[in-house]
Amino acid sequence: MTYMRLCRQPFFIVLVSLIPFAVHADSKQQLDGNLLLTGMDAGSSDNFKSGRAITLHYNYYFNNWLAADAGLLLSGKTLEESSEDIVGAYRTNIQTQALLLGVKPRYRLESPYEFYGRLGLQYWRTELEVEEYFGEGIPEGTSSATDTGYGYYLGLGAAHYVTEQFIVLFEISRFMQLDVFEGDTAYPFDLAINAFSLGVGYRF
Amino acid sequence: MLYDPLMRAYFPGFPEVVFLAFVLTGCEIDGSDNLPRVPDQGLFMLADANRHEGNDSAQVAAAVFNDGEPVNLVGGDLFEARTVTERVLLKQGGPVTGSYAASLPVDDSVQDVFLDVVHLPVEAREDRWYPIDLLNTDPGPGELVGKSAMVSFPPAVTIAPLSQTVYTSISDTIDIRWNPVSAGDLMRVLASVECTDGPATSSYGVVVDNEVQLDMDLDDGNEAISLDKFIYDLDAGSDTLKFIADAALVLLQEMLNQLSAGNIDPDFLLKQREANPIESTCEIRLFLQRQRPGQFDAAFDDGRVTGSSSAEITLTYIPSAAFN
Repeated sequence: MTYMRLCRQPFFIVLVSLIPFAVHADSKQQLDGNLLLTGMDAGSSDNFKSGRAITLHYNYYFNNWLAADAGLLLSGKTLEESSEDIVGAYRTNIQTQALLLGVKPRYRLESPYEFYGRLGLQYWRTELEVEEYFGEGIPEGTSSATDTGYGYYLGLGAAHYVTEQFIVLFEISRFMQLDVFEGDTAYPFDLAINAFSLGVGYRF
Repeated sequence: MLYDPLMRAYFPGFPEVVFLAFVLTGCEIDGSDNLPRVPDQGLFMLADANRHEGNDSAQVAAAVFNDGEPVNLVGGDLFEARTVTERVLLKQGGPVTGSYAASLPVDDSVQDVFLDVVHLPVEAREDRWYPIDLLNTDPGPGELVGKSAMVSFPPAVTIAPLSQTVYTSISDTIDIRWNPVSAGDLMRVLASVECTDGPATSSYGVVVDNEVQLDMDLDDGNEAISLDKFIYDLDAGSDTLKFIADAALVLLQEMLNQLSAGNIDPDFLLKQREANPIESTCEIRLFLQRQRPGQFDAAFDDGRVTGSSSAEITLTYIPSAAFN
């Protein structure tokens, strides 16, 4: 359902619609998809397990070293370790999506390698869910809330040109969502998503 | 019943918590039952607030038992301890399941501490990281909400300087003198003893109350306690000493931690008892506590709530052979 909702996002539609157009361009463009191993950090005593996410990026190269970077981040549901306190046992999970827009500088070596970075802004949509258990005879419950907002992202990566068109990418990145649930609660937080990723790209 | 060593709290009003489990029979230790003596039937409240000399906070602990079993406060129910000007929620786990503890700021003007069971679904979750006011499953107040107790601090205990602080024989007598109040308060002595004999060490705790020494509980301003109440012969044993089994070491450790405002070695009582105290040099930290019964809600079938004040002195035992 989340993926379906994203497919209805105007930004996503524009991004996808660029693909057939881009195929006819003169090797100034790149599409890549990455599988991310993520670590969520809400900046406090949270204890999230590692999670999974994917990113899709479209790059348009203005020149040999700088490209526009547009992308999409889709995370799976990331679970927190169960905790217990005086109230009862509880566990949270987070799922997030983000649209990315920024720049991607690169440095192409003589060998079939390049180094690159990404830096830009993101528009995110994040859902936080909490399951609570109080013990025998007391009804348990689940509550959830969703928020949207802005943040930034950055990344550093290396690419190996298998051919002039096909690339394998390795990247470390950080997606920062600022003031999650600001205005809805007295306890807003910043959510950092740190990730290692492995991906493949196609230049055209 | 073994207690989680991480359960952090202090139950100064429950000597039986410590004692029931440990009566030394030779070197055998019985740690089978660390629960306080509570009735098998009905709703029972235990609570204590202790103010130690020189401290600007009192240690407060409370628990409720139903038909002899501790009742967990969950779902946003918790104990609130308050004075006229200060208020704390008892969120820390106490020494037994279902007991709770916290430090309550106090000054010399504070006489009474009020304990209430309240339902605060947001405040109870304040240690969680996520927006607790937005994401909160509230099951509503439990059956204990609204029940209460009140304790009053007895006058502070002031121990007169000892005529001697170094003792060489367990037949010596410690003459403890303090400011008597004679208001019906009960007195008792707790001690932490740390002995060293070369590389060997020995640490243990002792409580001396009316069960150990007749009339110990009288607030008459003086008590002569034989040193053999604190120093024993590992080889001979003693039926006047009550030793602390592994599980209950935690309880007394917490008690001593609180009484000493954290100035005691956190592993003090957990260390191996290896040195034979009677043959070792021992430091005895002796805590004198004055206890005053409090009041509890008529909704409870029974209870034991106390306010207490405490002070401490330190003395040394050096066996005569070593002394010479």
